[in-house]
Amino acid sequence: MPESQIELIAHLARRAGFGATREELEEYGKIGYEGTVDKLLETSSPQWMSEYLIRRYHPDESSMLAGLSGLEAWLYRMITTDAPLLEKMTLFWHGIFATGYPKVLNAKPLSDQIRMFKKYAMGDFRDLLVEMARDPAMIIWLDNQQNHKDSINENFGRELLELFSMGVGNYTEDDVKECARAFTGWTIGNCEYMELRSARDSDWPYGRISWHYEFDAQDHDDGEKEFLGRKGNFNGEDIVEIICEQEATARFIARHIYHFFVADEPPVPQWPYQPPRDPEAINQIVQAYFDSNYDIKSVMKFVFNSDFFKSEDCWYEKVKSPAELVTGVMRLTESVDRPQYEHSSRQLRMQYMGQTLSNPPSVEGWDGGTTWIDTGALVERMNFASEELGKLETPGSKELFSKIAFEGNGEVEADRIIDICLKHLGTINVKDDTRSKLVDYASENGVIRVIDQEIDDVGKEKIAGVVKLIASTPEFQRA
Amino acid sequence: MKTVKTIGINSNQPVGRGFNFPYDIAIKEDLGKSRTIYLLNRSNSATRMGTRIQYFTYEEDWIGEFGNPLEDDEAKFTRPVTLAFDNSDQLHVTDEATDEIKIFNSEGKFQRSIKLDSDSQGNGDRFGPAGIAIDSGDFIYVSSRYLNLIQKLTPEGRVVKEWGGTGGGPGEFSMPWGMDVDSQGDLYVADWRNDRIQKFDSEGIFLKTYGESGRGVGQFHRPSSVAVDANLNVAVADWGNERVQILDNAGSVINVLEGEATLSKWSHEWLDVNLDEREARNRADLKVLDLPDHLKNAYHEASQTEHKFWGPVSVKFDSENQLYVTEHSRHRIQVFEPAS
Repeated sequence: MPESQIELIAHLARRAGFGATREELEEYGKIGYEGTVDKLLETSSPQWMSEYLIRRYHPDESSMLAGLSGLEAWLYRMITTDAPLLEKMTLFWHGIFATGYPKVLNAKPLSDQIRMFKKYAMGDFRDLLVEMARDPAMIIWLDNQQNHKDSINENFGRELLELFSMGVGNYTEDDVKECARAFTGWTIGNCEYMELRSARDSDWPYGRISWHYEFDAQDHDDGEKEFLGRKGNFNGEDIVEIICEQEATARFIARHIYHFFVADEPPVPQWPYQPPRDPEAINQIVQAYFDSNYDIKSVMKFVFNSDFFKSEDCWYEKVKSPAELVTGVMRLTESVDRPQYEHSSRQLRMQYMGQTLSNPPSVEGWDGGTTWIDTGALVERMNFASEELGKLETPGSKELFSKIAFEGNGEVEADRIIDICLKHLGTINVKDDTRSKLVDYASENGVIRVIDQEIDDVGKEKIAGVVKLIASTPEFQRA
Repeated sequence: MKTVKTIGINSNQPVGRGFNFPYDIAIKEDLGKSRTIYLLNRSNSATRMGTRIQYFTYEEDWIGEFGNPLEDDEAKFTRPVTLAFDNSDQLHVTDEATDEIKIFNSEGKFQRSIKLDSDSQGNGDRFGPAGIAIDSGDFIYVSSRYLNLIQKLTPEGRVVKEWGGTGGGPGEFSMPWGMDVDSQGDLYVADWRNDRIQKFDSEGIFLKTYGESGRGVGQFHRPSSVAVDANLNVAVADWGNERVQILDNAGSVINVLEGEATLSKWSHEWLDVNLDEREARNRADLKVLDLPDHLKNAYHEASQTEHKFWGPVSVKFDSENQLYVTEHSRHRIQVFEPAS
């Protein structure tokens, strides 16, 4: 397969996953670009590090006491999964339906919400919205347990329209109220007790009890409602059906997909005032949404096979989120084959880079794009990637050394070292001036010599230095 | 078996009474007088702030604690796993992160440690001590989660026997965990990833296997602990199935326990000073189970209720054949006694 095709598949792997090793890319190359798209979309039986194995080493990560510790289990899953697109889609929906620990104060319902996203991430968008409305963490996050037949609380209804489906400016205040009425009675079981415990951040007596959805028919307003110009005795499912029929919904979700998978858009609050970066691409995604009857998997297949996605104009046009960066780096090291004592710190490093999953800065989620980069976060990102990829004893590093040793006995040219390292780190195309600086660095630090198909420790340190430098390049920090 | 009582309360504080992901217990008995329970708090992965051993009476009278990471270097734990007393009331604690057995007296004073050989098989992997059992002659048996073997040690820590290897055949292991020695000196090992219990004599000769993979009665999913009573009945912490199964020594299932927790003394004390919470709790139905499809299994059901086992990680018998089940995710001990 021509190198240009491998490079295109590497672009796909960065966007539909967390990047890929050279070996994985060459395997993908055997089935071609479209075959790789299909393979990534096939997520019916994903495999990742056993949850029982994680639970044995970190019992807290599957429980509810330690606030966000369930996220460490999610990080294990992202690092070890063989279905990376499923994890990316879960991150995508988590960013839109952003739900945070500081108000929910119960970690298991947040983990359960992530499980729900995984189940519905690539199905019918209607199903996802209904399950999201029934999700116990979401109910508490947006106060729907306080949305009663005789006194509505519009918080969930408003965000469903504003942030989760249509976007501001596409509905009226009356629509918000009618929407809220339709979701009255959508609450959690044992609401009074659970709310009391949650409000106090109470662990007693035997740890937190998880939550489940409950429909309280007595508290549901089943009267006639007028919503987006339609009249009827609508319930929540009817409202979702009407929402999904709207072109505004299709445009809003299409722009989110473009923003997350194709190229960075401005933050969502600016969308009503700034046109999309590529309006024609948005039109095409909208069409795919309606043509597929709101099937997200079909929409993603269309996007990944589109010319606008494959265009080199959008390569490296996305700044990796901290979750993507940490996951991608750890996958390249190939060192996480079992639960590890050091794992907790990786989640913390992600936090220092500006992202704590299940703890978004607001109900609007993370802005993404260049907002991930400030001076502190950039240093943390470069340090993390360099430290992990520069370790000499990881399987990933050993594989790199053996590739260089395979060049044969004698000196290995600096130019060739850079070539091998860039391919090893996921087939990265760096700009000419970046490449020339990398070559200069490799040259200035002395020759690397292969003797009896081995590289000595000094040579390995030099190679690790090159890898650390590549990990700091804009191209590595972007997707 | 029938339920007797529930012991403990949850606390995420680094000191004081209250459990934080308890992983195992050991019982010190002054026959006919008292029972003191030593409970190992595994605590949370990120901070380890609550990692320590607490000890208290069977009646829930608090005595003290030791091994806190805030204490001196010798005594503190990193990833402690299991506990066992020797015949001189010396408490042995395995730590899978530091590859050692730490030994304390019954007042919690650190005595010494036994460092385990991390590379006895020459493959470069660590030992990862998990389960521990001590026989009537004070020989120590320790299971290795990474090397998939059992070592028999003298009280001083010299290896006198080693057996096992990675695999699913008789005498092989996949990440073994808890162990117990019966009154006849035979060793029982929770062969965790092989979903079975294996029985050996004191020289490591394979005798028998109990159970197989599955969710049915007599089947196990990731058993974490095993205990043998005076009648040679075998209790298995069927951890992945969120239950405990009791077998006779031939392997027939006598009892399947799913948990029947009641409020402990410490829990009652807490609710006595939080009356609104007690009242709201009384109005709640903590046994309700109508979960969406993606949450329909034993693990999620256990998370939604309070009476059922959630993370039944350890089983231990006392001299009266009372069974103690420690649950890491419910931070308590449920005690059962044989049905009359």
